[in-house]
Amino acid sequence: MQDVAITIGGAAGQGLVTISDMLLKLLSRTGRHVFAIQDYMSRVRGGHNFMRIRISGERKFANTEKTNILVALDQRTVVEHLESLEDPALVLHDTETVGPVDAACATFVGIPISASVPDGNKVFGNSVAFGAVISILGLDLEPAKEIISQHFGGKGREAVEKNLRAAAKGYAHIKSDHAELILRLPDGIKKPAMLINGAEALGLGMIAGGLRFISAYPMSPSTSIFNYVTRHAGKLGILSEQAEDEIASVNMALGASAAGARAATTTSGGGLDLMAEGISLAGISETPVVINNIQRPGPATGQPTRTAQEDLDLVLNMGHGEFPRFVFAPGTAEEAFYTAAGAMNLADKYQVPVFILGDQLLVDSYTTLPGLDLEKAKYQGHLADPAKVARPYKRYLLTPDGVSPRLPYGAEGARVMFDSHLHDETGLITEEPAMAKKMTEKRFLKLRGMSREPFRPVRYGHKKPEMSLVCWGSTYGAVREAVDLLNAGGARAEMIHFNRLSPFPVREAVALLRGKKSVRVVEGNHSSQLGRLIARETSIKTGESVLRYDGRPFTASYVIENLKRVGKWKLKMSFSSKAKRRGARGAATSASSRPSKRR
Amino acid sequence: MLLVSGIGQAAKLPHYIMTNGFNGLHGRALPPAFGAKAANHRLTVIVASGDGDMYGEGGNHFIHNVRRNIEMTVIVHDNQIYGLTKGQASPTTAKGVKTALQPEGVVLTPFNPLAVAISLDAPFVARSFSAEIDFTADLILKAMDAKGFALIDVLQPCVSFNKINTAQWYRERAYKLGPEHDPTDKARALEKAFEWGEKIPLGIIYDKPRPGYVEQTVGLDSEPIFSRITKTADVEELVGGLY
Ligand SMILES: Cc1ncc(C[n+]2csc(CCOP(=O)(O)OP(=O)(O)O)c2C)c(N)n1
Ligand SMILES: [Mg+2]
Repeated sequence: MQDVAITIGGAAGQGLVTISDMLLKLLSRTGRHVFAIQDYMSRVRGGHNFMRIRISGERKFANTEKTNILVALDQRTVVEHLESLEDPALVLHDTETVGPVDAACATFVGIPISASVPDGNKVFGNSVAFGAVISILGLDLEPAKEIISQHFGGKGREAVEKNLRAAAKGYAHIKSDHAELILRLPDGIKKPAMLINGAEALGLGMIAGGLRFISAYPMSPSTSIFNYVTRHAGKLGILSEQAEDEIASVNMALGASAAGARAATTTSGGGLDLMAEGISLAGISETPVVINNIQRPGPATGQPTRTAQEDLDLVLNMGHGEFPRFVFAPGTAEEAFYTAAGAMNLADKYQVPVFILGDQLLVDSYTTLPGLDLEKAKYQGHLADPAKVARPYKRYLLTPDGVSPRLPYGAEGARVMFDSHLHDETGLITEEPAMAKKMTEKRFLKLRGMSREPFRPVRYGHKKPEMSLVCWGSTYGAVREAVDLLNAGGARAEMIHFNRLSPFPVREAVALLRGKKSVRVVEGNHSSQLGRLIARETSIKTGESVLRYDGRPFTASYVIENLKRVGKWKLKMSFSSKAKRRGARGAATSASSRPSKRR
Repeated sequence: MLLVSGIGQAAKLPHYIMTNGFNGLHGRALPPAFGAKAANHRLTVIVASGDGDMYGEGGNHFIHNVRRNIEMTVIVHDNQIYGLTKGQASPTTAKGVKTALQPEGVVLTPFNPLAVAISLDAPFVARSFSAEIDFTADLILKAMDAKGFALIDVLQPCVSFNKINTAQWYRERAYKLGPEHDPTDKARALEKAFEWGEKIPLGIIYDKPRPGYVEQTVGLDSEPIFSRITKTADVEELVGGLY
């Protein structure tokens, strides 16, 4: 059985989150792999939102633009997604409120929701739909019952009972009236898989890495990380504070960090702009801090709930003056977990600001994982032992590696001074040119150690590639899948993914890129920020980049289509015979994945 | 003890006192002070700031940390001028005062820090005058005993850049509140906060305890945040929740 993509769409507030959440849990618990994206508008009611869940027998790293099963909670969903329907496709809809439209590829399956809800109460409609969906997917009702009970448990026994009855009705309706349409899903791993989104991965990673203090100001799409950490903060002895603005949130984190608590903040572009001076303060005062910047398209308010990779240049350079920093951009939720834990440790080890660049796609997408290795995400303490540090204590002691032993406030017999001016070794203000030189050099001495730290570029794909697709951050999934598809079609492609972008892994980049036939950067911005970074750091000029800046996530088909369109490189293979067939028939091909006419 | 400051003449204080310090950014004394106190609630935190630092650039933090009622003593060196940048109007500069940047005189209404703090229920609000050394020292000690955000606005001349509000000017107007003033009476306190011009009251204007941030925050009553450790078992439990 092939992968199945199911899209659940409706207006904000219509309950698509309920259906999606329960479905995701059921799929992961029964061992199916999923990759699910959320696509929502920046509004509380109305509009059009959807979740697309890709179900597979093996791990998937990206979204698709195709839908096999559309669950339409309103008429607009049918209209919006007609273009993306596979041939054949099923459209599940409420018999009363949503009507079939003329589409050759689609079979419309009406569900009599009003007639199925207990007491004629519409609130149970989502459970009817859920029952119908799992029925059509050929899943058992039994494991779903537990999920329904957990989901509605907080609303009391009666609510649980009625939702169970509603789901059973929807389930039975498909079994009795549409048995011939029931699919068989891939078996999967036959044991429960972990279900995690990028926000949870980043939050969990920071917690594993010893996070003690988090302060932030709400801003989409970063808030879900702050929510996750805060939900567990009380129990873990972490302090979470909603700041009055982002200037406060980063400066609060610096104060907490100076006092010895591992500190982090979360934000998105506009909030990050406000933090710039605080990040510069982290630079000169050598205060560890982790800044999660979850990108969305700018400038200014841009598209608040959409995705982009536009802030790389910003985090590489932000904060006036010169100071070293780490910049990470994990590719998957799994990598986000290890990166976040590592970021907490590295901030402390080198006493520098550490950026984690995520984006809406990374934090809002769900993926299944076989598990996480907590051994690889262990807390490593880097505060100095007060008994072993010489007195009088010098907060900014000049050392061969640029890192001074750090004591928290309150250490016996030590005056601990953090300062935003040029300071001497004790942290007192000075304007001595010799000290200015020494302190600047001290900070940059750290780069030697920082460059040796992990999260270096990874390679995936053909061993003797004639095309290298280079990416960073969440573009990993789409590029990896594109490489698989290209190679399956007889091409020789590889992916090179950068997680650590500062200090830039120059040696590794040169080794990976020099002498390669065709190097193309794939990234979510207009100016190819990684392409220019590579040119700056390695003098290697990459080919024409594949860019996306419409706020929507990359998919493998987008990558392949655009490689063909903008590149001089000719695709030697005929990209999958199936795609050609589909293209000829037309109906089920969306604009962005339609095979190029220039083939 | 930890002394936190922003930037300004007054905010250089941590460099002159032999204690722990955090000398941060202009306007941003309160956020790191809050962070440090939250991370280690056993620290005694004192903030030293100027009228520009605290009420101008840092005005938003002033409002919200009064609301937070974080347990710290906030001393504002109020010379009614931007000293370090050589004499521009500050939020407390009087209307009509001419500076290089307000050549026709200030048209903005002065900020009233005491009234703002009282209206937001800061538990301890006082005013002093820098020439009154023992009196000021005594007020600082009382502020340190208060539970929550304790504000002392200290009037002081800027001999270089404020030629109007001189030591003489303050001396002629300032008077110490006597026992007839009831600092627990909010309406009376507000009245005193608005008293300015011919007569300027010094002393504890408002003194009404209210639960502080540390006191009210669940889990902040034991081991300080910074010295806690997340156990692997706790992380494993979170991981378990993802299945
Ligand atoms: C972000 C920022 N803006 C402006 C300045 C310049 N600046 C330094 S101190 C100051 C005003 C100081 O006035 P006040 O806080 O009243 O302190 P005083 O010098 O009078 O004690 C200004 C505008 C700065 N350092 N940082
Ligand atoms: Mg001043």
